[in-house]
Amino acid sequence: MHLAALRLRDFRNYARLDAEFKPGFHLLLGDNAQGKTNILEAIYLLATLRSFRGVGGAQMVRHGQKGYFVGAGMLARAAHEIKIYWSPLERKLSLDGQPVRLLGDYLGTLRAVVFCTEDLQLVKGTGRLRRRFMDLLLTQTHAGYLPLLQRYAAALRSRNALLKLPASDPRALEGFTRQLVEAGVELMRLRRDLWPRVAPLAREAGARLAGPGETLELVYQPSVRADFAVELARNRAREQVFRSTLLGPHRDDVQLLLDGKPAAKFASEGQKRSIAIALKLAQAEYLSSIHGAPPILLIDDIMGELDARRRAGFLPLLDRARAASSQVFMTCTEENWPRELGRDLQRWEVKSGALRPL
Amino acid sequence: MPLPEAITRLSEALGRLPGIGPRSAERLALHLAQSDADGVRQLAQAIVQARERISACKICGALTEGDTCAICADPRRDGAILCVVERPLDVFALEKAGSFRGRYHVLGGKISPLNGVEPEDLRIAELESRLAGVQEVIVALSTDVEGDATSFYLGKRLAGKGPKISRIAHGLPAGAGLEFADEVTLSLALEGRRELAP
Ligand SMILES: Nc1ncnc2c1ncn2[C@@H]1O[C@H](COP(=O)(O)OP(=O)(O)OP(=O)(O)O)[C@@H](O)[C@H]1O
Ligand SMILES: [Mg+2]
Ligand SMILES: [Zn+2]
Repeated sequence: MHLAALRLRDFRNYARLDAEFKPGFHLLLGDNAQGKTNILEAIYLLATLRSFRGVGGAQMVRHGQKGYFVGAGMLARAAHEIKIYWSPLERKLSLDGQPVRLLGDYLGTLRAVVFCTEDLQLVKGTGRLRRRFMDLLLTQTHAGYLPLLQRYAAALRSRNALLKLPASDPRALEGFTRQLVEAGVELMRLRRDLWPRVAPLAREAGARLAGPGETLELVYQPSVRADFAVELARNRAREQVFRSTLLGPHRDDVQLLLDGKPAAKFASEGQKRSIAIALKLAQAEYLSSIHGAPPILLIDDIMGELDARRRAGFLPLLDRARAASSQVFMTCTEENWPRELGRDLQRWEVKSGALRPL
Repeated sequence: MPLPEAITRLSEALGRLPGIGPRSAERLALHLAQSDADGVRQLAQAIVQARERISACKICGALTEGDTCAICADPRRDGAILCVVERPLDVFALEKAGSFRGRYHVLGGKISPLNGVEPEDLRIAELESRLAGVQEVIVALSTDVEGDATSFYLGKRLAGKGPKISRIAHGLPAGAGLEFADEVTLSLALEGRRELAP
């Protein structure tokens, strides 16, 4: 799978971009603030319909314009054309000229994994980010996951709204509780099944990055211990006080342990960074194993900050991407791009919102 | 130059209609403002008349031009089976499928805490007052979270009041209303109904 064409209109600092890309390794070079990361952001948007910078649509519209357009030509077994338009008034997403009605039908058209400085928050930040990581991974590998997650979220919002009412019919609350539990139990099952497959990949990637001797473990921590319905019922009094649903998959977390100790508390900054990268490498490798082809890799800036051994930890994945005619997009400022990635690079210069082959 | 105010006002009104975005609303307004005056007058009258003549059937809540709808008035329809739907539109969808011979009851929505719709806001008391002589109530609501929670609620609330309570099979498109189901799917869903556990 590769991105053959990218078109941007009024996206970030690009008034207009029409670029074609071959499979292989693309190096986006340029000074600071020229628009390198913005290109990765657009590709990631095509994959997930979100920004990896955690911002909404309005921030991506070029200053002073009405809306942005991001279009792509994909080449996999078949060719596909994607068009995204966003403005405060209108959102459009089409695949091969047809409006997309169900997100589940769309996601998977382009699969991408991003490596960026924000990844560090996977280790340091709150559980919300690790849940999002887990949800994205399951969305990218399991067709029924997204609708289930949406259903759970809808049940949760409704149930919380009911709990906020001064008085409500208990049978109505029970109706929404049923929906919450049904979707929630299935979510937890899928999440529980995921980690035994991803954890070994992360452990190996961690060992490659940090050298042997540091063992990385991932442990799924559901907020429900055994029986969702029973535990919810037991929490009813507390729910009445807090007026919201206090346990369930929306409170799940994944514990990151380095040599048996919680990484957020005990790991050094460098170790935390390695763990974040190991999680992303595991994501990329898991996607490759499920889909038989590597995802598009988007690597933003991080190479320059890593020492040679940590950079080498990437090489197997990059080699695999190359062998499978997949794509890698990597941003660098001229001085620090890693020379060992040398052969058959396609180099581009990014300069104030324009892209030029070098 | 900004659009004349009369056109902006019309376009805002049109934009509040379902399925019409700001762009189409503006296009329609511009079109109407420049069309033949008689045609526009007729359209306006048709809209007012439809609104004035159509009301809710006082028995089932479906749309009708008189007091009671054709289905409630039809003695050949089986009064022992009541099919509960969300909106008047759903009655048309089920009638098109053609396999249902009982009568209907329109709830007027589903329980929707996020939109402030509670059970008292639905026509459930009216449903309860129609249960004499009814042997089966078929709940045919959409299969999204609110539809399923409302079905569950009805199962609880109507339990022990006489009729058997069943709900249509989950063969409907996920999260969609009845209008998205084709006629065959609807007929199958009706046939495959199961009893709601009280
Ligand atoms: N909505 C927007 N409209 C116009 N310009 C924007 C918008 N958002 C960001 N920019 C501009 O885009 C540029 C930053 O682009 P980007 O983040 O891709 O830089 P970069 O080349 O990755 O730089 P660095 O090497 O510092 O990471 C800045 O000049 C910023 O002002
Ligand atoms: Mg950047
Ligand atoms: Zn009627």
